Amino acid sequence: MPENAYTVTVAKDLEDLIPEFVENRRRELESLRAALAAGAFERLRQLGHRMRGVGNSFGFERVSSLGGQIEEGATRANRGELEARIAEYADYLSRVRIVYE
Amino acid sequence: MNEAGAARRAQPEFRVLIVDDDPDMVAYLAHLLKAEGLDVEAAYDGRQALALIADRAPDLVLLDVVLPGMSGFDICRRLKADEATALIPVVLITALEDSENRVRGIEAGADDFLSKPAKREELVARIGTLRRLHEMRKELEERRLAAEIQRKEAIRRAFSRYISPRLTEKVLSESQNEADVFRDLSDRAAVVALFADLRGFTHLAETVPVFRVVPMMNEFFAELAVAAHANEGTIFSMAGDSLLVGFNVPVAQPDAAERALATARAMVRRFQPIARRWKADFGLTVGIGIGIEAGEVVVGNVGSPSFMSYTIIGDPVNVAARLMQMASTNEILIGPRAMQALQAVLGQANGYDRRELALRGKAGRVEAFAVRVAAA
Repeated sequence: MPENAYTVTVAKDLEDLIPEFVENRRRELESLRAALAAGAFERLRQLGHRMRGVGNSFGFERVSSLGGQIEEGATRANRGELEARIAEYADYLSRVRIVYE
Repeated sequence: MNEAGAARRAQPEFRVLIVDDDPDMVAYLAHLLKAEGLDVEAAYDGRQALALIADRAPDLVLLDVVLPGMSGFDICRRLKADEATALIPVVLITALEDSENRVRGIEAGADDFLSKPAKREELVARIGTLRRLHEMRKELEERRLAAEIQRKEAIRRAFSRYISPRLTEKVLSESQNEADVFRDLSDRAAVVALFADLRGFTHLAETVPVFRVVPMMNEFFAELAVAAHANEGTIFSMAGDSLLVGFNVPVAQPDAAERALATARAMVRRFQPIARRWKADFGLTVGIGIGIEAGEVVVGNVGSPSFMSYTIIGDPVNVAARLMQMASTNEILIGPRAMQALQAVLGQANGYDRRELALRGKAGRVEAFAVRVAAA
């Protein structure tokens, strides 16, 4: 995946909210991993639903799209799909670059 | 503060309650709304939201659908079912493509929807529209209340000229609109009826210039009305030179007969200075004749749709009228049933002059008691 796909442009006035937002996404990643390990698909569905709602609002479209896929994977209890999407989310969070405009 | 900020501050306060379990979503929405000059509160579940609303109702609720415990639909339904909160606009936050949830939201009474992801422009536009609508609704409600107060005040002013202040209050508190006034007040009731008239009226009408008669009659009735209302009597009619007052109606008065007698005495005393003045000014000899009787009557709104009067009809009213006609100047004639009620309270009828009277329309003679009111 090209590097620029992980660049997110966020409105300047939201800058103060972003550190907390990103920190919450990292906590979310841990929750996703724990839920997957426990086979807690309903919890995974809820976490995916939340990602879908919050990501785009801040300009993090990738968070929303991954959230949708996780929600869908959890509904179908598709462990393989969920593992892949959670790994993708981890990669995304480690490499995302935020630009304020 | 810049000009835009000052303009926002000049607007009335508008408080939005955000209900969402995601702290990032709350922070985001709160940030956008505060930037628009709105006051923001947050709740993270239904229970907290309802407690905050009960404590101090916001002007708008921004409500996520998926919440721990109570859902956004449940909260919305509760708010719309409660008269105190039904008018607070509720905006449900749902996914744009989620038409099923939108239908459920409409059924729950939601006023509008906000799509997730929440776009800044959409949020500001929707809140702005609802704010204007809400303020317009509030203004209309305030105007409606003001009109309602004005209407009741007009009724109060109109009725208080004719009926006792207590009846006015009863009518106003029991009626939802003008059409209801008096509608449910028809009833049978035990009352004490008092009839009073002006002795020497015919002479007055013949002697005094016509343009002076009405003000003089108003003066006469004003004193009698004060005496009636001071004893919480209800004035049922003023016709010609006579006045009908009822007691124990529409509110119970266990001492109705005493009130009637006190009213009669007060009427005679209050009118005496006026009678003296009329004597001095016009050479008139005037006074008051009064009849009082107790018994069961029909109380109700009698007349046609275009003209009605709240009145009492029945034998005690007729007897009181006949007694009034037979009473001498400044004399009170009390019928047998009214006297019975008075004796129960005052003991034997000492000081009353007992008479057997033949009343027009009545078979046999009627026992009556006369009281003369000494000149003050």
